[in-house]
Amino acid sequence: MTFSFLQVALICLTYLAVVFTLAYCTDMGWVSERLVAHPVTYIFSLGIFASAWSFYGVIDLARQYGYGALAYYLGTGALFLFGAFALKPLVELARRFQINSMADLLVFRYHSHAVGGIVTLVMIMAMAPLLSLQMQAVADTIHLLTRDHHKTTGVTWQGFDVRDLLALIYTLVIALFAMMFGSNREHQRGLVTAMAFESLVKLFGLLAVGIYIVYHVFGGMNGLDNWLSTHQEALQALRMPVQQNSSHALLLVFIATAVSMPHIFHMTVVVNPRKHISDTVSWAFPLFLLLMALPIFPILWGGKALELSIASEYFPLAIPMATGSSVFTVIAFVGGLSAATGAMIAIALALSTMILNHWILPATSLRSQNDIYRQIVWLRRILITAVLLGGYLFYLSLHNKFGLTELAIPAFVATLQLLPGVIGVAHWSRGNRKGFIAGLTIGGCLWFFILMLPMLLGIQSITLPYVDRPISVGATQWANVTMWGLGLNTLVFIVISLVTKQTDDERYSAEICSEDELSHPIRLALDVRSPDEIIARLSSRIGVSTAKTEVASALERLALPPNESRPYALRRLRDEIEANLSSLMGISMASEILDRLVPFKVPETHGATDINLIESRLGQVRNQLTGLAAELNNLRLYHRRTLEELPLATFSIGQDMEILMWNTAMAKLTKIPTDTVSGSHLKDVASPWGRILHLFAISTEPHLYKQAIEINDKRRWISLHKAAIPSSKAQQFDGQVILIEDVTELQLLEQELVHSERLASVGRLAAGVAHEIGNPVTGIACLAQNLRYETENPDIIETADQILSQTDRVSRIVATLVSFSHAGRQSAQDFQAVSLRACAQEAINLLSLQKEKPPVRFVNQLPTDLTVFADAQRLIQVFVNLLSNSRDASPTYGDIIVAGERHGAYVEFSVTDYGSGIAPEYIDRVFEPFFTTKEPGQGTGLGLAMVYSIVEDHQGTLDIVSPAHLDTQNGTRFIINLPANLATQAAKSNTSLPQ
Amino acid sequence: MNQQRPLILLLLLAYIFTPTLYAWVISPSGVWYKPYIIWLLVIVAAFVVQRRKKTP
Repeated sequence: MTFSFLQVALICLTYLAVVFTLAYCTDMGWVSERLVAHPVTYIFSLGIFASAWSFYGVIDLARQYGYGALAYYLGTGALFLFGAFALKPLVELARRFQINSMADLLVFRYHSHAVGGIVTLVMIMAMAPLLSLQMQAVADTIHLLTRDHHKTTGVTWQGFDVRDLLALIYTLVIALFAMMFGSNREHQRGLVTAMAFESLVKLFGLLAVGIYIVYHVFGGMNGLDNWLSTHQEALQALRMPVQQNSSHALLLVFIATAVSMPHIFHMTVVVNPRKHISDTVSWAFPLFLLLMALPIFPILWGGKALELSIASEYFPLAIPMATGSSVFTVIAFVGGLSAATGAMIAIALALSTMILNHWILPATSLRSQNDIYRQIVWLRRILITAVLLGGYLFYLSLHNKFGLTELAIPAFVATLQLLPGVIGVAHWSRGNRKGFIAGLTIGGCLWFFILMLPMLLGIQSITLPYVDRPISVGATQWANVTMWGLGLNTLVFIVISLVTKQTDDERYSAEICSEDELSHPIRLALDVRSPDEIIARLSSRIGVSTAKTEVASALERLALPPNESRPYALRRLRDEIEANLSSLMGISMASEILDRLVPFKVPETHGATDINLIESRLGQVRNQLTGLAAELNNLRLYHRRTLEELPLATFSIGQDMEILMWNTAMAKLTKIPTDTVSGSHLKDVASPWGRILHLFAISTEPHLYKQAIEINDKRRWISLHKAAIPSSKAQQFDGQVILIEDVTELQLLEQELVHSERLASVGRLAAGVAHEIGNPVTGIACLAQNLRYETENPDIIETADQILSQTDRVSRIVATLVSFSHAGRQSAQDFQAVSLRACAQEAINLLSLQKEKPPVRFVNQLPTDLTVFADAQRLIQVFVNLLSNSRDASPTYGDIIVAGERHGAYVEFSVTDYGSGIAPEYIDRVFEPFFTTKEPGQGTGLGLAMVYSIVEDHQGTLDIVSPAHLDTQNGTRFIINLPANLATQAAKSNTSLPQ
Repeated sequence: MNQQRPLILLLLLAYIFTPTLYAWVISPSGVWYKPYIIWLLVIVAAFVVQRRKKTP
């Protein structure tokens, strides 16, 4: 039973059309998100691991190695089973640094462009046979299907027949698919879904063929058992080769494939799933492999039972054909086709990325004026086509000389040479680039000259000079080449790494890659101050629009504002841009661009640990810490919280003045949240804090007392104290811890005390002066009086009157002084309940008698029932002083309003005028004795001082509001609060018993 | 400092039982799919371990 070329072409194109449609629909968002993001989709997409070789070639492997063939699945399965240990470090690295190929990973770890170039070369040489294997499988199966039609077509040109033409068309269609869905970062989803679909198809195909064979050829499981019991040699063939030494070489080769094969690395590490999926993968992918491996032996035995003359690798297709089942023939063909397609696409993508990143981009400079994304996408498209066509040419050059297994094993052995370097990435930080390159060169040369080249040239043995015995070479020696190549590679890697030194850059990368990555991230300094500066610098190399896009996306990912200026945030921004660029153009280009345009400055002092980075990383891995690390982390958290919740404003800075810690009290005092300030330079902290804190930090004084600082137009006083944080190195310091004390309350109390003390001393002085001046003035007045009566001379009488008038004035001043100095001496026992309204009214009446003053309107709005405990006479004096002051300030016929009300235990009353108000600079001084703004002779400056003194005697408070009327910006309001009942009075009345 | 202790125990178990399992697998008596049974058991164990890890 055979098919025509047209039918086969139709099957191929229909299948490819389905894959195209699925990828396109996923990209357009027409496929349900639940399906696309489902773990099963990702697990199936990993199934590209199983290429056409695992569909066909593995049957031949089973024939040769029996159970040893299972190593192909068991090795990879084991790697995923222990994924947490084996793959996780690589996956984490790839996620963090946007590593998108094996070469990128090795370049990142060994910090060398040469590594990228050599790894790419090894990969191309290794993948060439694997790529041609896929094409050969497709071409051979087409050939098988169309066996009977070969003579009829007869189109051949130098051995180039229709089969090869179909393979070429197929290659071109696949190139088109890979260009459409694989060349762009945005189209990965469509690719993953298409790969998953292909894996599903091939799994279904292989299982269906296996079941078909068991039930159709053997008549069920019992039939198979019966056949096996009569064909003991088949069972023997299963077991015997396992005891030979090539089986463990097979296991080794296949363990390495999941890590070293570029296309599998691409799907495992680059197209990376979310965390919970990677846990599921650890058991689900081995299960997928188990299902793929299950039909191998029944298919092999089916071919033997039918005594097929065809190569055993094509049994999956040949058996349904031989038994005349067209349905299962098509299923098997499409299964194999899908296996080849998936592998070809993934290999083409992985290789093109490597060639672009490690060969093309370092050698050429992109034109930065143009759209860089477009240039890269087109370059990648060209490379994808070139890789696939290169693979096709290689396939043509082989002329179908080799079986699938013969092609596959050299490919696996070649990629195995990368294993020592890959292990060194996460598990041996001492390994260096010299060791890696030397080991890889030795292993690679051994592979090429002993295995690959003789195989291509058909040489079986070579004779070396000075060696008598010929040395066997070629495909049959693959196990020896594997062991010797890998052994020498590893040995050279270890020895050279141990005897040579790593560079600083390489050690830094090695530390980042090593599992103990929290070792000591060093705080490097950047000389940029804003994201805009980064854009400006990058523009020279990647163009303005690309630079803007990359910086904006990095800012968005880190949730940073566009005007970010904190050094810590800018460092993270730089790293994020580097990671994004490396996903675009490879890590070696990205790091080269960033190192040149936005370089890190090496810190002047060693040990400038990046505390903020350590903090954020510890926060991320907190749940994974166990044992001592978890306990240390708890201790760290305890100390950190202690500092954060300390009810004293505290912060710490590094040697470079970068803020490392800013506690809650500090945030409360400065009104600057911790998140926005952490990682900033001290100078950049919002005004007025930045300047004063920076000055203090750089000064040598350990304390700075009572510094005045304006916050929201209010003056506050702070004291600063600092201590150096000792470094782990002797005689060095890591930074400073600074404590800020808010001493505003204390300062105000002190000022009030000083003011009261001054008033008291003025009072004592006044009493003394009054006493000393009073007597002579009385004498002068008496003498002047006598003088009037003893003369008739009108001039002398006039003089005497003048003297009397002046002495009268002096007496009044003296009387006021005496009265002022007596303030405070009065006992509260003299107080009684007095009506405020009555007191105010009496004062108004008294003032109304002074006709020489400009007329004003006194308005007494005090309620009649408002009483306070006070001395009525002194309260009248308060009103007289306040009202006369208000009258002096008021315009003619201006209103002066006295109002008040009770507030709990206090009575508040006020005197408000519509005068000119008090200038702000005088408000603090108006209660000082002898302070007056009136003309000389108009006032003594004692009125308000006396009011203040009386109010204080009554345990009240006095406030001034000026301007009192915000709308007209004039007027003054004196507000007095007096206790409705004096505390002493109340206590007395409550506790004293009748005598 | 990731937790690798179960892995070490598993390797110890593998070391202890490998000769027995190996002998069982290649012994002529019994069914041909014995390696698959061991494989399936390992997958079930991995599934259980992963479930238990997820629960807390």
